[in-house]
Amino acid sequence: MDTRVSETKEAKRIPQRVLIGKVGLDGHDRGAKYVAHILRDGGYEVIYTGIRRTPKQIVETAIQEDVAVIGLSLLSGAHKRLLQQVMDLLKERDASDIVVIAGGSIPSADIPDLKAMGIAEVFRPGVSSQSILETFASLVKARRPAA
Amino acid sequence: MTNDTQDLVEQVRAGTSQRVRATARLMSLVENYPERIPEFLVGAADWPQARMVIGLTGPPGCGKSVLADRLIRAFRTRNPHNSIGVIAVDPSSPFTGGAFLGDRLRMMRHASDPNVFIRSAATRGHIGGLLLGIKAFIRVLGLAGCRTVLIETVGVGQNETEIVDVADLVVVAIAPGHGDAVQLLKCGLMEVGDIFVVNKGDCEGAAQLYAQLLAVLRLNANGQGRRGADSCLVSALHGRGVEELVDLLEKRAADSEEAWRSRRRQTMVDDVKEAVLEEARQRLSRRLGTGPLATKDFTRILRGEITVPGFVDELLQQLTGTGEVKDHHGGG
Amino acid sequence: MAEGDCGPSGPLEPARKDWETHVLAPALKRVPESNRPFKTGSGEPLEALYLPEPTSEARYLERVGFPGQYPFTRGIQPTMYRGRLWTMRQYAGFGTAEETNRRYQYLLQQGSTGLSVAFDLPTQIGYDSDDPLVSGEVGRVGVAVSTLRDMERLFRDIPVGRVSTSMTINSTAAILLAMYLVIAEQQGVPLQLLAGTIQNDMLKEYIARGTYRFPPQPSLRLTRDLFVYCTKFLPKWNSISVSGFHMREAGATAAQEIGFTLANAICYLDLAVNAGLDIDAFAPRLTFFFTAQSDLFEEIAKFRAARRLYGRLLKDRFHAKDPKSMMLRFHTQTSGVTLTAQQPENNVVRVAIQALAAVLGGTQSLHTNCRDEALALPSEDSVRLALRTQQVLAYESGAANTIDPLGGSYLIESLTDRLEAEAEQYIRDIEQCGGMVQAIEQGYVQRHIEEAAYEYGQSLETGARVIVGVNRFREEHEPEPAIFLVPEDTEKKQIDEIRLVKKSRSEQKVQASLDAVERTAHTDDNLMPVILESVRAYATTGEICQRLEQVFGEYEPIVS
Repeated sequence: MDTRVSETKEAKRIPQRVLIGKVGLDGHDRGAKYVAHILRDGGYEVIYTGIRRTPKQIVETAIQEDVAVIGLSLLSGAHKRLLQQVMDLLKERDASDIVVIAGGSIPSADIPDLKAMGIAEVFRPGVSSQSILETFASLVKARRPAA
Repeated sequence: MTNDTQDLVEQVRAGTSQRVRATARLMSLVENYPERIPEFLVGAADWPQARMVIGLTGPPGCGKSVLADRLIRAFRTRNPHNSIGVIAVDPSSPFTGGAFLGDRLRMMRHASDPNVFIRSAATRGHIGGLLLGIKAFIRVLGLAGCRTVLIETVGVGQNETEIVDVADLVVVAIAPGHGDAVQLLKCGLMEVGDIFVVNKGDCEGAAQLYAQLLAVLRLNANGQGRRGADSCLVSALHGRGVEELVDLLEKRAADSEEAWRSRRRQTMVDDVKEAVLEEARQRLSRRLGTGPLATKDFTRILRGEITVPGFVDELLQQLTGTGEVKDHHGGG
Repeated sequence: MAEGDCGPSGPLEPARKDWETHVLAPALKRVPESNRPFKTGSGEPLEALYLPEPTSEARYLERVGFPGQYPFTRGIQPTMYRGRLWTMRQYAGFGTAEETNRRYQYLLQQGSTGLSVAFDLPTQIGYDSDDPLVSGEVGRVGVAVSTLRDMERLFRDIPVGRVSTSMTINSTAAILLAMYLVIAEQQGVPLQLLAGTIQNDMLKEYIARGTYRFPPQPSLRLTRDLFVYCTKFLPKWNSISVSGFHMREAGATAAQEIGFTLANAICYLDLAVNAGLDIDAFAPRLTFFFTAQSDLFEEIAKFRAARRLYGRLLKDRFHAKDPKSMMLRFHTQTSGVTLTAQQPENNVVRVAIQALAAVLGGTQSLHTNCRDEALALPSEDSVRLALRTQQVLAYESGAANTIDPLGGSYLIESLTDRLEAEAEQYIRDIEQCGGMVQAIEQGYVQRHIEEAAYEYGQSLETGARVIVGVNRFREEHEPEPAIFLVPEDTEKKQIDEIRLVKKSRSEQKVQASLDAVERTAHTDDNLMPVILESVRAYATTGEICQRLEQVFGEYEPIVS
């Protein structure tokens, strides 16, 4: 029985799971909610974890929910420290294959440092939903090559 | 059981540092490859199982997720060594396939508790308030060592009867201020519940609703209703009445643990039957396809060139005759 | 607008019909209107032209009236800015207390007439700078104040008897106010002379801003304790600043901003009345805080509508007698979300328009945002430019020369009526939910804001709404301006400072005062006196909050 063909076809229709949330103490969730909304409308299953989460809560949730991507919004200026903690914890839990994306008020001067620590993409204010969807799609694709 | 599944199962059993990840991945296999669900039902005979599987249902806005959060806390406080698994189901959009899985938000305080495993799931088109692979999810959580499994259904009400088949105990929650909750009970929820909870007990109308509930339950006890349902008044948000609810759940578990075990043994046979039928359905469905060729097949029936039973015979012959399914929709 | 207010029955009607047929119609044939959507900033449709309502003089008196008179549509003072200009109050705070103190001194030298303290997030939520939980956040979005010592350094050489000070603090309002009161004591300033404002608005924290610590009920108890204390001892102090700013910035429409804010105000007024305060003793010290976004006319109308609706509420619902109780006094901050990281110099223009809206709307005090605020904390240069913007408006634009200069504009009056009606409907809906706390618990308010935010976002995506430099008139290569960074050693300095304080204080006194806080939290007594004692003993913000949390518990959000 040739199940591979049909599985490949199925695979294309499997919704991808992503986590959207905020780490740190700032409570401005307009951006995070907007991105969650766009991704849901784009066919993703979005696990929304709300504001004021610790890096540990985010990483444990991402693992239990088996998400492909973690998207974190940060506006308080504490992005470097907090994102580093997320990346360290992912490594510690042997889950560095989960893609991490950051967004919010992040000065462009900090972007090289964030990329160096393994953040796949940094969304800055004003990014279009189309570009968000394209970025997610390409990162998910790069992570899991087609079966 | 296929190799990748087996590897993951071993990782979960061995309790390595990868246990949590492996558990999560097994669940993703169930979600993403429904055709493999039978592996989890048939191949899981020797897996450890949860002691108690609780279903939590009720209309939207009745506070299910907050109640779930408080139940997790109560169970964890009572039995600090027992793990609890939670499955929170939300609907998928029929248009985009996407879903907003927000139940977990109310349970985030447990996110770093190693003895709590929470999984959000989308229905992905499955009707009935749960996901297609719910039974396999429960098995996987049992394998991962969860003594208690709590399932929060979508909660759109009337056709959520599937929870009765998968849970040992069903808690039905209602709350004041969300339409005629008692009416809701009468058309469907009454039959599924073992324990009825009026949540938001501190809100206006809660006492009245509770009195109505008791009246309905009494009426039902005299009639053909489900065996002696319990009830309690809870304010999950303010933590009131939750301990009493857990007492009720624990008492039921102590009384019925043996009965549940044998019921599960029985349902495993049913599950195998279901798995067989599902496999057959899927093979036939693949053979039928959805493209223009399938339409051509059906047109033959419509034209009276062949009867439905005759067509099915033909299909089955094709399937068994060559032992191979031609990909009918590959050419489209 | 109520039915019949502007029906087609007025005396202008024949003339309007004539104009439409003979002048407008042929013109539209030659040049049709563009298909650009004509909408307010909140997305409400706009007519091409507004005409006078078939209004009588009696109706004018009832709805518009005179400045300084009920219903205060035209302003709360009879003279408005001809008497005294608005207070130019720039929100500032970052890093350590010394650094922020230097910024305050600078602002006062440049002509600021009030101070506005921005605290960092750990302080706002009640964690000390040395708490591992807040690593990375210390001194980021405001100044870190963990003990009275920090407050002493923050106000060194600033005479608190002569400046009015506004403090953006909510969960920990009682603690930070207590510290400020001790500073006044140290400077020998009697409490009854102390002027200023404490935000103390917890409800909107659950809705939009997120710096909650305790659940709503105990939070409101702290709010109430502060009301009672201030009403008794601080007659010139505003014990709350009911804030629409954050809800609007989170996506609410203008009508929602007023509706939700006034619904919150109702909850606070009930709280004060239930605590036994006389409405005319309490209400005059209740103040408001709104944003000013870029749609000039909608924003002006918003402020006028809010004033009128509030006046009616206080008179009809709370039976206030003193006109002062019916006056909606407010601070305005120009909008942060409308600032763009792209072509940041455009922000200077946006801020000027928004500030003009606040002035034409009759604000009592104003913060103008800095051009680089979308990127990071503002530099000293941009802070000065922001202040200069206010000064140009005050002294050059003429906007301060007449009272309510746009009053009587057909457009403005019509928008004012509409916004008032819509806001009133939101207030009714929230009462249907059982009041604001229930509306928050049911997610009613959050849901409305989220939907409005999504629609706004979509209108940017489709181009129906144009933001210059973002979705039109973009530039390919934009040089990023130099921005101001918080010194990296802030956290370390703060941790050292706390260590020093803890070494020098009397541990026995601290513990005894904290025990008293915990004991009192269990009762219904006013917490202010025991918190004051703790603060005097140099107990930390975190220590006091921990004790309160023992009794109150911690808030976990229940709706997304």
